[in-house]
Amino acid sequence: MIDFKNVKKAYPNGTMALKGIDLHVDDGEFVFICGHSGAGKSTIIKLLLREERISSGELIVDDYDLSKLSNYRVPQYRRKLGVVFQDFRLFPKKTVYENVAFAMEVIGTPRRDINKRVPSILRTVNLAGKENSLPNEISGGEQQRVALARALANNPSIIIADEPTGNIDPKMSLEIMQLLLKINKLGKTVLVVTHEKGLVDYYQQRVVSLQNGRIVDDKVGGMYNEKV
Amino acid sequence: MRRYNIFYFIGQAFTNLWRNGLMTFVSIAVLMSLLVVIGGFSLMVVNIDINLKKFGEMNEIVVFVDREASEEKIEEIGNTIKALDNIEKDSSGNVTGVTRISKSEGLRQLKQENPGVYDDITDENNPLPDKFVITYEETAKVPELDYQLRQIEGIIKVNNRLDLATGIENLKNGIMLIFVWFLIILFVVSLFIIVNTIKLSVFARKDEISIMRYVGATRSFISLPFIFEGIIIGVISSVIAYFIEWFLYAYVERMVVSDYLQMIDVLTFDDVSKYVLFGFLAIGILTGVVGSSISLGKYSNK
Ligand SMILES: Nc1ncnc2c1ncn2[C@@H]1O[C@H](COP(=O)(O)OP(=O)(O)O)[C@@H](O)[C@H]1O
Ligand SMILES: [Mg+2]
Repeated sequence: MIDFKNVKKAYPNGTMALKGIDLHVDDGEFVFICGHSGAGKSTIIKLLLREERISSGELIVDDYDLSKLSNYRVPQYRRKLGVVFQDFRLFPKKTVYENVAFAMEVIGTPRRDINKRVPSILRTVNLAGKENSLPNEISGGEQQRVALARALANNPSIIIADEPTGNIDPKMSLEIMQLLLKINKLGKTVLVVTHEKGLVDYYQQRVVSLQNGRIVDDKVGGMYNEKV
Repeated sequence: MRRYNIFYFIGQAFTNLWRNGLMTFVSIAVLMSLLVVIGGFSLMVVNIDINLKKFGEMNEIVVFVDREASEEKIEEIGNTIKALDNIEKDSSGNVTGVTRISKSEGLRQLKQENPGVYDDITDENNPLPDKFVITYEETAKVPELDYQLRQIEGIIKVNNRLDLATGIENLKNGIMLIFVWFLIILFVVSLFIIVNTIKLSVFARKDEISIMRYVGATRSFISLPFIFEGIIIGVISSVIAYFIEWFLYAYVERMVVSDYLQMIDVLTFDDVSKYVLFGFLAIGILTGVVGSSISLGKYSNK
């Protein structure tokens, strides 16, 4: 469960990126977050990742109150989340397998659990057989699927994707969206930031439209808001 | 935190050090110099202290009597000295701290200490004066005793070893002052260079660090490779510094011992090697760890 209550965010330089966000997302929901560049989409994600702190209001994710969360507890909290970025952020010198395993290693997962889990996640994202490839040997769509596998590695309850299809061609984008929906069907909450009208309209999911730091539209089965 | 393999952190640390080869080399060289200087300086101070202590423990003043003095005059001087305060006495109050060494006795001792050199000097042409070796009780009252001795008629010279000790002490303090400043500067320079070396590693790994953070790696997991990097720099520097110190010390020791035979005591390197090695490791590792903590600073926070 994600709950924004009148959340405002001012960056240290004075920019008011969010001007009072009220947003509730239930467990297992699929939500598109849309809006022009500069609307505040990435800021919402940074607040959720606790990369930035809210300036005022209240932000609660499951049983974590993010305005009160101490630095010490942040790693624990982040293991609830899996995140995917537009630019994949894979390690170029690690294989597909190692990139996924890395996420488990750094939180101290025993080797034998890693060896059991990685192949099954790679199957989930349709990458079986690519274990030993390096990121530069596979397509953009495949790289994004590796990133998605890494996001899933520690079995988070929420998946957050910031413009996941921004750097890949349309046919591959469709495949990524399909995967995100599949992951959602597996019971995970999925937030997808995007401004690809075609995809948003096609999938008929909940669409939250952001403009200038405010939510201007929030419709289930909604369409991309042309005015925004 | 559980089940992390320490070799993972050490492996990462070595990778970092290797990647920043030049800076690693400079860090080690500077930290090593710092340690060699600290070590050399400390060993010098320790040796000076030992010798000062030796002088202090002798509790002796030697006074020389006018060569023209008659036998009765010399005995009278002896009795005057025995009557002074602060002269060593036994438990029943008898003065034990005044020993007369006649000029022929003095010549005999001199010949014994330097065989062959004074063979042509006999009791007939002996130029030595008679002397008294005085053992005192309280070092604090030596200036008083010294003054009183100088007032006695017929005493031509008072050899107070405490003067020498004070001279050395002052010299030691002077050297110490200079070196402490020198050390502070060296320490700051080492720290600065280590901080920058590790900052380079942190920077080279900033993407990796950010991914680690997103998947929920703890602060200690992220920091440990860099802490180990500091420790490794510290350990390598200490070990090299130890061998350099050993070599330098042995060299100086030989020089001092052959030049001032019997006058100055010098510890052998064996006597101090343990302290030097552990001291170096302690300072080296501490500097490394402080350096890496400073370089991590804000990085491990968010
Ligand atoms: N670290 C930052 N410091 C200052 N201003 C920022 C920072 N990050 C984003 N902003 C500003 O906040 C506003 C919202 O940015 P962002 O959330 O990145 O928008 P979006 O992802 O919708 O394009 C923009 O005006 C942007 O310039
Ligand atoms: Mg953005």
